[in-house]
Parts: sequence; structure tokens; C-alpha cells
Amino acid sequence: MAVIIRRLAESDDASSFDCSDTPLNNYLKRHAWVNQQKSAIGVTYVAVDEAAPRVVLGYFTLATASAPRDSLPPKYVRGLPPYDLPMILLARLAVDRRFTGKGLGHSLLSEALRISLRVAEDVGIRYIITDAYQERKAWYVRYGFIPIEGGPESRPQRMFLDIRTLRLASQSNPR
Amino acid sequence: MLKAKTIGKKDAAKSSTRLHKRKFQADLAEAEDSMVRSLKEELQLSSNSDFLADAVALFRWAVRERKRGRRIFSEADSGERKELLFPRLERVAPGLALPRADIQWSAKELESIAELASREPAAPTDLLIRALRG
Repeated sequence: MAVIIRRLAESDDASSFDCSDTPLNNYLKRHAWVNQQKSAIGVTYVAVDEAAPRVVLGYFTLATASAPRDSLPPKYVRGLPPYDLPMILLARLAVDRRFTGKGLGHSLLSEALRISLRVAEDVGIRYIITDAYQERKAWYVRYGFIPIEGGPESRPQRMFLDIRTLRLASQSNPR
Repeated sequence: MLKAKTIGKKDAAKSSTRLHKRKFQADLAEAEDSMVRSLKEELQLSSNSDFLADAVALFRWAVRERKRGRRIFSEADSGERKELLFPRLERVAPGLALPRADIQWSAKELESIAELASREPAAPTDLLIRALRG
């Protein structure tokens, strides 16, 4: 199976997509295209098989966001420039349950990180954040994401990856 | 690297052209070779160099358009449109069009993120390095 990851298109078929998580399924089927094309509040990238290039096997959604500098504790603000901290939000990442365990999640996250690096070359980006389900937290940690403490327990774990760490990774050789 | 040398006026133009040209060699599968031959015939291109120059010009235009965030379509007389979706092309542009989202932060999260952002960057994990090399 040759997997291609590209931007979501209107003609893509997500009808059979099932990642065993209803909100993630619904987002892809009902909101991803509208949010991307009309509302411009998130760009979704899909993984498809080259042999069936319209059927979505997995996806992730990216947006930009920021942390308000005025709300940051003064002891840290002193060392930071006078701007909000710009970031990329990895808003969603999901793989169809029929394709789990085949490395598709790794491919999707890799592409999301590569896009983030490219974006960071063109606009200011300080870090990447994502909200991870508790059971997926360890998976993100393996890529270097660090849990951000202090979020409400009712919400998924917010996690942080410094864009400078990404740059270091892109310049490194595997050990 | 090209080496400069002293040449007579007579050969200047010829040598200058030669100095600025590079050889390009490609291994093509039989089907790809047939496709190139067929395209050359259709486009009435006699040389591989002309073929490559035109192909590069077209690719360069497509890359430039996608870098600007423009999408590429073909349109039939009926108005039916097909979008060109070429994965490598999608890699050059899309981030520029990332929209903005507002997210909620607790005071403790802001403190935590400020502390993380003021640290020296962590060393990348092996898996992260592998992810970016794919």
C-alpha cells in the first residue's frame, strides 16, 4: 500500500472512516471540509492509498494559535519579546481502525511536523501544541512532546513541542 | 564546480554556453521512457533537453502557484473542474494558509508553557529525528 498525505479535497470519501471515536469521525465527515474551505478555521490533511486515492484512511488538522503574553507570569515575560507566543495547533489526528498498527499514525504526525517546520520558516512559530487523550499521551511523549501542567482534568492532556527541537531533529542523523 | 579559463573571442559564445550547461541523466522504466517519447512526439520536441526544459518550466510554475496558496484546476467547456492534487506540490504551500484558532488556557497552563518556552530546547528523540527524515 502506497500512502499519500495531502490536503483534504471536497471529493474525498470519508463515509466509511471509523477511528472508534465519534467526535473525531464526525469532525472529518461533517466539519473538516467546511472548516477548511469556508470558515478557514483549520486545514485538514488526509492519508489515502494511491490505489484508491479518494478514500480517507487517516487525517490530521492544523491551525495557528497563540498564548497571550499579557497573561504570562511576569518572571517569564521578562525574557520574552513583547508579542503573544505564536504556535501551531495540531487539533486532531486520527487513523481508521482498519489501518491501526501499520505506521499510519507515525506518517501523519511526521507530515504534520514537517508542515510545521515549513510554516515556521515563513511565519513566526514558537512551538506546537496538541490535546492528547490520556491513553495517547505516551505516544506523543516518544516524539518529544512535553505535557503542559495545569489543565482541567476534564480535558485531554495539552502537550508542547518546541519548534527549535524540531529544527534540531531535522538537522540530526538517527542514532 | 565550473572552472573559468581564458578563451579567444571566436569561441567565447560557444564556450560560454558550454560552461553553463550540465549533463542530466535519468534511469527510466520502460513505461516512463515510452511516455517521454510519446509526449515529445505530441509536443513536437526533438531533443530530451528541450523536453526537460519545458517540463521544468511547467513544474516550476506549478510550485510557484502552490507556494502562493493558489490551487490548480483544469476546466472543461461544460464548466466541470478538476483540481490537480499532486502530493509533492502540496508540500510546498499549505502551511501558509493555516488559519487561526482561539484556544482556552488556564492560568497554570500559561505559567507552565511560559516556563517551557523559556527553557533551552530539549534534545530531539530518536523517533522525532526519524519522523522528520521520512
